[in-house]
Amino acid sequence: MTTDMTSETTVQQPCAEWRELLTLLAAGGELDPAEQERVSRHMAHCAACAASLERERALLALVADDHREPDPALLAACRAGLQDALDRQEERGWLRRKLSVLLPASWISPRPAWSGALLLLIGFTVGLLGPRLLLRSHATPVSVSRSVPAPDASAMGANPSPLLSAKPQAVSVAPAPFDLRAADVAGINVFRSSESEVPRVELHLRTQQPLTVRGTLDDDDVRSVLLNVLQDSRFCPDPDLRLDAVNLLRSRDNDPAVRSVLCRAARADGDAGVRRMALQALAGAGPQPMIRDTLLDALAADDDAGVRIEAISVLRDMAMRRAMLPDDRILNALRERAQKDPSSSVRVQSVAALRALVPPPAP
Amino acid sequence: MGVARDADARQARAAQVAEEQALVRQAQTGERMAFDALVRRYDREVLRLALNLVRHSEDARDIYQESFLKAYRNLPHFRFECSFYTWLYRIVTNVALDHLRRRGSRREEQAPALTEGDSGSSDFFDRQPQTNPASSPEKQLWGQELSQRIGEAMKRLSPRERVVFEMKHYHGLRLRAIGDLLGTSEETAKNSLFRATRKLRDSLSDIWK
Repeated sequence: MTTDMTSETTVQQPCAEWRELLTLLAAGGELDPAEQERVSRHMAHCAACAASLERERALLALVADDHREPDPALLAACRAGLQDALDRQEERGWLRRKLSVLLPASWISPRPAWSGALLLLIGFTVGLLGPRLLLRSHATPVSVSRSVPAPDASAMGANPSPLLSAKPQAVSVAPAPFDLRAADVAGINVFRSSESEVPRVELHLRTQQPLTVRGTLDDDDVRSVLLNVLQDSRFCPDPDLRLDAVNLLRSRDNDPAVRSVLCRAARADGDAGVRRMALQALAGAGPQPMIRDTLLDALAADDDAGVRIEAISVLRDMAMRRAMLPDDRILNALRERAQKDPSSSVRVQSVAALRALVPPPAP
Repeated sequence: MGVARDADARQARAAQVAEEQALVRQAQTGERMAFDALVRRYDREVLRLALNLVRHSEDARDIYQESFLKAYRNLPHFRFECSFYTWLYRIVTNVALDHLRRRGSRREEQAPALTEGDSGSSDFFDRQPQTNPASSPEKQLWGQELSQRIGEAMKRLSPRERVVFEMKHYHGLRLRAIGDLLGTSEETAKNSLFRATRKLRDSLSDIWK
């Protein structure tokens, strides 16, 4: 329990390591019976946590009172608008089908004179304009990808679209290459048609004109933007997007650049949730000295109890899988946490990890 | 007796799922009435989500229309690897998130400042009259002020935090399902919920002291 001394009326804060569980309990439907029992037992002797749960429920009730159902008139207007829009969609589809039926075969074949004239016109046009088109396309290296907003391209279940939504820009002077590393990231969308399929990623960049990079993690552009998101949070102040970046990159932890960035995020990201997830993502990366150091630094120095607990969990998991040997450095770090950590949960987890990693002495 | 009831409930659910799949297949062949029937099943919930996220009728209409048009165009690609509800809500949440992100940058550039005494408000919630016939003018005023405070507090949430909070508390979804809809993990959805709740708590804690 901690006390907030900044307000006139002193509000007792809940125990740091129980705060998130209290939020999940108030939200409902997230804790299994064993976890609920654990929280209830704790609240039975912690007035601050019990009071915090009541405040959280009061907050949710307050916000729920303000929640609104749609007005029937608004719903009716939306439905009418949608019907009009669908009618227009259908008309366009009908027109396209009709045009494809009318031209060119049924129009040309019974009219040989017209077909001949048309062929002459096509030949003349190609002869006149062809060299110019060829000259312009050779002068233009494609270095900028600009996406034309294509509503169909981001649909679920659609076949993977081309890697970058690129339209070669035919300009006479080669533009400077656009530096994706300098772009702010406004949004990350991930599409998975099935668990086994490699996810498709859509990165919305905040540039002078809206720019979307589409592809998979195997594409250099997608990977470089995601790495940049984690390397420098100036390009991405939204912690949710940084969490998405960690989540996506974790499947590439065999890449040294990815490992390095995940270690950096685990140490230095401003958001505890991102640091926690970055540690989780390193669990599968193998016994690298950099990873061991990152875990030990998090255990010793991170100011968030949840991050320290995550570090213990990952160390223990790697040791049990024989992915990392529980050497003296690791054991001493756990012993120190077991004795000195201000969080009781960290102390308990440290003791449990030591019991799992250090075999009891032979009788 | 209980076992028989459970079996009946399971059968009823299976029948509903089969019926919906049949509707989807009909809609995929171009049957407009089948698509309209699918829209009617979910559009109230979709509008409720949009309205409470953006707190603005016109913007909610845009999200509604854009979502269902995308669903209509892409229905032929739906392969029944998840429920139609999940597929539709993935579209809706992506459209809503894009809308909130765009609105966030527009507000920084060009949001007009409301002057004191300006009675006009673009917030749908601010303009809703109290329907309780017993509420006094003072209570009605307090209700409007409270709504405004909640609206201001909601604006401090990121787009993702708003969507997760809304879907968790008002659409009965578990965090794992929300993570799936957003194309992210349960852990990320949890973190969003924790941050959203903390921000709301910090913004509104003085109200019930």
